[in-house]
Amino acid sequence: MNLLANTVAPSALVIDGLVVGAILFALGLVGILARRNLIVMFLCAELMLQGISVSLVSWSRHHGDWGGHVLVIFVLTVAACEAAVALVFVLQAFARTGRLDSAAWQSLRESNLPRTIDRELPAIDTVPPKFPKLAPAGVEPAADEDALHEREHV
Amino acid sequence: MNALSPSTLLVLVPLLPLVGAILTVALGRVLGARAHLPAVAGIAAAFVVAVMLLFGMAREVGVGTTGHDHAAKPVEMVTTLWEWAVVGDAAAAGDAGSAAQSFSIPVALRLDPLTATLLVIITGVGLLVAIYSIGYMHGDPGYPRFFALVSAFVFSMSMLVAASNFLLVYVFWEAVGACSYLLIGFWFTKPEAAKAAKKAFLVNRIGDFGLAVATFLLWMTYGTLNFHDTTLADGTLMPGILGATRLADASAYVGGAVGTAICLLFLLAACGKSAQLPLHVWLPDAMEGPTPASSLIHAATMVTAGIYLVARTAPLFEACPGALTLVSIVGATTALVAALIGTVQNDLKRVLAYSTISQLGYMFASLGTGTLLGFTAAIFHLVTHAFFKALLFMGAGSVMHSMGGVIDMRRFGGLRRIMPITAATFLVGSLALAGVAPFAGFFSKDEILASLHSRGWPDAHGEHLEAAPAGGHANAAATFHLAFHTASVTPDAAQLAGGARGSALDALNTPATWRILFWMSLVTAALTAFYTFRAVFMTFTGPTRVPEEAGHHAHESPPSMTIPLVILAALSAVSGWWLFSTHSLASFLASTPSFTAPSVASTATPPAFHWDLAIQGTLAAAIGIVVAALGHLGRRSDGPQMERFLGPLETLFANRFFFDQIYSALIVKPLELIATLAALIDRRVIDGLVDAIARVPAGLGTVVRHLQSGLMQRYALAGVIGTLLIVLALVARAMG
Repeated sequence: MNLLANTVAPSALVIDGLVVGAILFALGLVGILARRNLIVMFLCAELMLQGISVSLVSWSRHHGDWGGHVLVIFVLTVAACEAAVALVFVLQAFARTGRLDSAAWQSLRESNLPRTIDRELPAIDTVPPKFPKLAPAGVEPAADEDALHEREHV
Repeated sequence: MNALSPSTLLVLVPLLPLVGAILTVALGRVLGARAHLPAVAGIAAAFVVAVMLLFGMAREVGVGTTGHDHAAKPVEMVTTLWEWAVVGDAAAAGDAGSAAQSFSIPVALRLDPLTATLLVIITGVGLLVAIYSIGYMHGDPGYPRFFALVSAFVFSMSMLVAASNFLLVYVFWEAVGACSYLLIGFWFTKPEAAKAAKKAFLVNRIGDFGLAVATFLLWMTYGTLNFHDTTLADGTLMPGILGATRLADASAYVGGAVGTAICLLFLLAACGKSAQLPLHVWLPDAMEGPTPASSLIHAATMVTAGIYLVARTAPLFEACPGALTLVSIVGATTALVAALIGTVQNDLKRVLAYSTISQLGYMFASLGTGTLLGFTAAIFHLVTHAFFKALLFMGAGSVMHSMGGVIDMRRFGGLRRIMPITAATFLVGSLALAGVAPFAGFFSKDEILASLHSRGWPDAHGEHLEAAPAGGHANAAATFHLAFHTASVTPDAAQLAGGARGSALDALNTPATWRILFWMSLVTAALTAFYTFRAVFMTFTGPTRVPEEAGHHAHESPPSMTIPLVILAALSAVSGWWLFSTHSLASFLASTPSFTAPSVASTATPPAFHWDLAIQGTLAAAIGIVVAALGHLGRRSDGPQMERFLGPLETLFANRFFFDQIYSALIVKPLELIATLAALIDRRVIDGLVDAIARVPAGLGTVVRHLQSGLMQRYALAGVIGTLLIVLALVARAMG
């Protein structure tokens, strides 16, 4: 820390850090507002979080105070947990509707308002789930073509 | 206080029926079919006590020893139970010289000949009605309720006649009205009964309003509401309105505009309670109640209240001869009109109802003469009428009981073979009502006719009566100055009364008026005999016919119903002769403080039997009975003779002179219109305003709700914009 302080002007360093943080935050913000893919939106939220973290670290360093660093470590930890939970939600949502478009999830609006449709969501080709079948006893099971195909790669 | 002192006994008379009523209410469910016990016992005990009081009072007055030539002394006894309300400082009021500063309402009961007489009638007839009801109301689901109400009715009426304060009179005047409402509407699930009860109550309210305003005026004029003299805290004597002090002074009663206003308002009140024109319309409809209740209302309680009020305030009326004359005019007109209506009624109970109105009209006509004879004759007729009208109603109830609830006289006949006791007692009651000698009604009606005759032909009745109108005028003249003063201190009251009205009414007080009234009464006597015997002939003579409703068990009523009938029949037969021949009632009543006022007492006449009037009255009754017999006796008992004979008049009578229709068109319909308008305004304008205010948040909501789109991006955008705004605001503040 002293080493760094000697080579670069302290104010320049904090400004750079803040600029980077602001750019990250702005990117995240734009991503959240503009994109509709749930995973991308989640990523953008993370991006905003990290933008804040960067500026926290910069300020912390500028003031020579470990508080900001400690806070960022906590933020990272919480963000990791939150990412796990959020991704589970996203996955579940996808499992239910087959969609990742946030526009598909607007049922929490006023009950008698019409659905907002700016563009028709593409139809989902529903593939009937394939369940493994047990072979009749004493007979060699028929080889699964896909499985065989994949087995080569493995 | 001695346990049997008159004051204790006096309190017991109203108290016992009250206790009976409360016990009946409390124990009604437990007693079940014996729920009549507390009420009957309470009224019976009250009756015994009232009789004791009557005899005590008679000893005090000295009935029989007092000659007519020296004026009767006022006899009264007042018991103040407690001060109900004390407003203002009594001592300060005494200093100021005007008692109008303080106001106290003592709960005071009084006993004087008038009260004692009425208490015996009320409790006596009440007792017989209660006993009769044991049979009549047997098995009714409201059995305990009925007896509680009868008991409460007797209590209210006893208090009304025993109260010694106009405010108390007003309270129990209302209580009597409430009890009558509850009894008329006893079968409240029947729409007619509920309507009749409402009608009785509302029409009575008009009269009650008169009594209330009269009470206010009395307070403004006399500065007290007590009947009796009271001693204030500082020892000064406050003369009561009917107290000995004021009674002794001929000029102590206000005449003129204020006095007339008070008297006319009293008359209005009396018209309401006693069913006189134009407020008589409630009484015939009151037949919807149980027959014993009708009997009670018509004979002992309720309708006699108006007679009592006018009799009690006799000195006040004496100061306003015009108002007195109007009392007679109202009474005689009512008597005639009600009798005419009664001639074409086919409902036995309605015939009796109109007969009650008619007989009460007689009493008012008699009261209005303003002579001692007139007042005592009215009370005499009240007593005899209580006997025979209770008898007739109970007889009608007995018929109705046996006929399975049918009361239309055209649907039954010849009942004397089925119910001999009822028929015999009913006949006695009818003879008394028609005024056939020697039954009770003959003597009391004779006295009433005599009192009217004495005013129409003053010369024929000697010196005493010649003084009466003159005395009245002198009295009015003497009080005119007083009235003028009062009018100047209470200008509102004077304006209310209307300055010229007092004198305009006095112009009615001419012998010619009284002659017309006398002839009206005589015609009424004939009509009374006619409609009474028309009812008797239609019901009890001719071939025996019984409506299907009676089934196969048309029979004489049980003893609990016939015994009261027999007792009342005996009373109806002999009471008139006994009271008249001994002159006991008249000389007894003459000691009532109200009747010892010089203006009343100076008109005293020697007791006399007027052969000429008796002959005229009997002739009238005979004509009525003969015409009734020609039309309805025997085989012709249910013929439409009346209708054929009267022609278009029949329509007029059968529709009761269109009173109900006129009231409906003039009062009910306009009021309903106003009510409809008010309802419309309420629903459209007022509710509309409220609804409009309620629609504001809803309308705002419909605008704002579009923000709640459910789209994540929009929410995020709103968050961003909000944050930006906050930041901008902070920046702007930081920059100053």
